[in-house]
Amino acid sequence: MRAFALIAVLLAAPLARGDETCMSPYMPKITGQEDYVYVWTLGVDGVGDGSDKLVTVAANPKAPNYGKVVSSVSVGGRHEAHHGDFTDDRRFFWAGGLDDSVLYVFEVAADPAHPKLVRTIDSFVRDTGGVVGPHTFFALPGRMLVSALSNERDQGGRTAMVTYNNDGKFVETVWMPDKAEYGYDVRVQPRLNRMLTSSFTGRQNYMRDFGALVADPEAMKHFGSTMVVWDFHARKAVQTLEVPGAPLEIRWALQPRHNYAFTTTALTSKIWLVAQQDDGSFRAAPVADIGDPKKTPLPVDISLSADDRFLFVDTFMDGTCRVYDVSDPRKPRVVHQQRIGSQVNMVSETWDGERVYFTSSLLANWDKKGKDNEQFLKAYGWDGKRLSPLFQVDFLAAGLGRPHIMRFGQERFYKNQIFEGS
Amino acid sequence: MTRRAFAALLALAGQAVAAEVAAPARLRGVDPTALGYTYAVGTFVPEYAPPAVGSYTLPVIQTVGDHPLLDADGRPATLFALKRGEVAVVAFIYTTCVEVAGCPLGNAVLKRIDAALAAEPSLARRAQLITVSFDPERDTPARMAEVRALYHPSASWRFVTTRGEAELRPLLDDFGQPVAKLRFADGRWSGLFRHVLKVFLLDRENRVRNVYSVGFLGPELVLNDVRTLLREADASPPPGAGCLASPTTAVSAPPPAGARGPSPRRR
Repeated sequence: MRAFALIAVLLAAPLARGDETCMSPYMPKITGQEDYVYVWTLGVDGVGDGSDKLVTVAANPKAPNYGKVVSSVSVGGRHEAHHGDFTDDRRFFWAGGLDDSVLYVFEVAADPAHPKLVRTIDSFVRDTGGVVGPHTFFALPGRMLVSALSNERDQGGRTAMVTYNNDGKFVETVWMPDKAEYGYDVRVQPRLNRMLTSSFTGRQNYMRDFGALVADPEAMKHFGSTMVVWDFHARKAVQTLEVPGAPLEIRWALQPRHNYAFTTTALTSKIWLVAQQDDGSFRAAPVADIGDPKKTPLPVDISLSADDRFLFVDTFMDGTCRVYDVSDPRKPRVVHQQRIGSQVNMVSETWDGERVYFTSSLLANWDKKGKDNEQFLKAYGWDGKRLSPLFQVDFLAAGLGRPHIMRFGQERFYKNQIFEGS
Repeated sequence: MTRRAFAALLALAGQAVAAEVAAPARLRGVDPTALGYTYAVGTFVPEYAPPAVGSYTLPVIQTVGDHPLLDADGRPATLFALKRGEVAVVAFIYTTCVEVAGCPLGNAVLKRIDAALAAEPSLARRAQLITVSFDPERDTPARMAEVRALYHPSASWRFVTTRGEAELRPLLDDFGQPVAKLRFADGRWSGLFRHVLKVFLLDRENRVRNVYSVGFLGPELVLNDVRTLLREADASPPPGAGCLASPTTAVSAPPPAGARGPSPRRR
């Protein structure tokens, strides 16, 4: 029974000390300090080669090139690079362009410091029966689930979720239900067999100049105001929740028995709690304002700490991160607030809760202009009370572009090596 | 992980490792808590009732080919021969795996499925369980026979291996099951493999219709999926009898605006 004891001890040990908190639970997690931050970056005309690219930044303080760009691989042209994520085995990074709906697959495992573009899928719209705007990439066993924002027919908000297998072959399209037709994020809680989707707006709006868009009352009517609860295994919608104001990123709580998720609404600046009720259904309720909603600070990305205690909320317009204590998920309270830059969008906290990374770009046509168009990756330490700067990379000065989603990498994860006493 | 979930997982795995697992000698001298595994997979105990049989469809994920195997009696076999044109649940394991959320869990779940099939002979006749080792070096036919004896299959549960890497690699690549030897810093093999447990559901046409990893590897869910595939097969005309859409049919246009309810799942 020695082996049984070994297993028990291994299980009892805290396994995942590193990594990021918002990735698919199907994905193996790296442990310990991340070596790299991969940043899917929008190209900017006149900046470097002007193309969308995957940028790799050294993030291990022990590395001689800490805080420096290690590599970048351009995909050629600008496609509104936005989100991406690893496959279930973490060997490949999939990324999408919201403008022309092209998917890119980078191999990371062979050389984590220098990801390589190995596949381009330019048949997404045709494969999927007219889906446009691949957004969230969420690893499933042997597959990649992709939520989308729009459709080919009218470029509006009616959209679908799409599945490809890991070889890049199309598997299926599941359209959003009637009266909840908008899409944005998709996240699965496998323990409950429940999947949540949120809603944003169609290509007509997200590719439009932000100033012109907000000045067009008719266009502003075309934003999502629903979340859908799905039977994940059956891919069937079981409940539509009213969440006015474009609910965006979804984060399921990570601790056992925490049967709830958070989202924030872009247009109404609120934190919403989506919690399972005693009868198994879900209820959505606003639980906190984010800044002054009258000023439309535009909450964008959120990140939930692995212990479900802290929710990091970025607001684009004031470039600020507010850290909420969500120990009581019904009563979030701000415990720290820091301006990150003139604009800020994505936020990713490490699994160990000690580091938080930020990027600046929202969408090419929505980013601020002139001197306020700062484009950066910034790393901060987090001690549970305040954010402390670690390093930053100026993506314009470096000739890279507009940085968007971030994911973490580690050399030894891919070395197939077992470490004694580490 | 909750105490209850932890206990449930250990109970499952305990069935699989009740016999002594041959942990590599060098690992026995290492404090397990100091082992720096470079990844960890989340573990989940399902807290839901699976959707009803036939209330959903399972899209075609990929199609696999036939591959040579060796059965636990040392006889040459192939995947398709063992499958016999039926629905099959195929799990890739190695018998000395010490990751509780890995091969032991896979074996434990297949044990429960085997017991359920045995209790339902009409179902058992139409479903095969196949456990394939990806460690042909140590998991010889004789070793697989030992493991088979440990589990006492009641229905059609086969334990197979391969003659070596030349047969194994194309099989793993075909299914999309990455496996790599975990080595110490000096390059010597630790005796462990890096792998993520994957269990594959094949339909009668050798198409992968579901892939289960830890989060969804529950016996009830797999059994419901098997029954759903059989119901689908029973409802389909024999080959050549018609031109109804097969599960490989891809996509139709977006549903018309105003369509009621969720659009049908497209495959």
